[in-house]
Amino acid sequence: MQPQKALTRNTKADFVMELVQTVSGLLLVGFLWTHMLFVGSILLGVEAFDALAQFMEQYRLLDVAVVFIILTVAAHIGAVFRRIPGRLQEQKIVWKHARTIKHSDTWSWLFQAVTGSAMLVLIIIHVFTVVYAGIDSKMSADRVNSWMLWFYLVFLLLAEYHASVGIYRALIKWGFLKRHSLKRVLSVVTVCTIALGCVSLWIFYWLGDTA
Amino acid sequence: MGLRQLTFHIFRYNPEIPNVNPAIKDYILQEEMGMTLFIALNKIREEQDSSLKYDFVCRAGICGSCGMLINGKPTLACRTLTKDLPADISLIPLPVFKLLGDLSVDTGTWFRDISLRTESWVHTEKDFDPHSPEDRMSNDTALKIYEAERCIECGCCISGCATANIKPDFIGAAGVNRVARFMVDPRDERDEQEYFDVVGSEDGIFGCVGLMACADTCPIGIPLQGQLAYVRRKMAIAGWRR
Repeated sequence: MQPQKALTRNTKADFVMELVQTVSGLLLVGFLWTHMLFVGSILLGVEAFDALAQFMEQYRLLDVAVVFIILTVAAHIGAVFRRIPGRLQEQKIVWKHARTIKHSDTWSWLFQAVTGSAMLVLIIIHVFTVVYAGIDSKMSADRVNSWMLWFYLVFLLLAEYHASVGIYRALIKWGFLKRHSLKRVLSVVTVCTIALGCVSLWIFYWLGDTA
Repeated sequence: MGLRQLTFHIFRYNPEIPNVNPAIKDYILQEEMGMTLFIALNKIREEQDSSLKYDFVCRAGICGSCGMLINGKPTLACRTLTKDLPADISLIPLPVFKLLGDLSVDTGTWFRDISLRTESWVHTEKDFDPHSPEDRMSNDTALKIYEAERCIECGCCISGCATANIKPDFIGAAGVNRVARFMVDPRDERDEQEYFDVVGSEDGIFGCVGLMACADTCPIGIPLQGQLAYVRRKMAIAGWRR
């Protein structure tokens, strides 16, 4: 061991970082899937969606959710940042490596890093919009029925992909489930949540049109 | 299936002649029945280019010297049949390890270093008495140790690992598997905190990102996902209690 490593040795820190990464990641997946179900309440009608939104604002659940998402995303970014190959040479090596060995789980890790980085920007925009405007089916319909539709579509795909790959990796790393069957289950869940999101967006788009 | 004309695209570079750049050189060879890459490379060296460097010892998948990237996949050349490959075959030396020349890399120094860093020997305070009978071990435990010890140190899991490719100090699946072997062994008296000192860091188990290329490439099929997860769980408990 080199002196500089001996001097900065704190092996517990590496474990804590790993724990923060995994726990925050799992919480975010739970949040995302709950979020998609809540947005999906538009399928039950405008009244159901607005009632749920009102309920969340009345009991300050929306504030709790906003604080939760900011803290958890910050913790997650702080923990996963060390994983992203930072130097140009490292970037060149990992992309070349993935192309060479043609291994799907290696590719999905690179896409995980790319989608994660992109989502950092998207999440900030999304949280700001919700905090400043609140939740209301009329406003959502107007937003979706504009260029923002593309924002939501891209965001939906990136978030679901990132969550799906992330939870897969967390579970196989800790060894709780078989890889092949886990992949299948997660693919089905991801396709379903994306479909639910798309249908919700379509309804909002249509509401925006008729309004 | 008819025998084909094969084209080998082989990485050529001699670090001792640094003014000649690394290059891929093509060799054309007539396929034969039951041809392995061991046979093919020997034929190329005998008939076409005597300067080609590569390693083989046992030609039976036991010695672990002939690991290379075959069409990108890290595996053993001696156990790879040309009939399982397309007519164009690319051969590249295993990344991460020190390149000796062409397809030959030095895995020995790397594995020696891992053995020392993971302290791969039975730590015990007991004095060895050659006359007393050995302590009994359950068959289940013995089989678990044997499973981990099947590792032939070919280095394919390390070359397939993206993390090992960018972090030179990462011990990789081979290193973690080695630690798992001693964790299972009742003769080793190390407690969990002592193991944590050895693998409870970014250079050890917590450096693993979970790409599982190691498990997918291990040519002899050691269940590396299970070994990694076993050590990870043990070290998480140790880290929590620390």
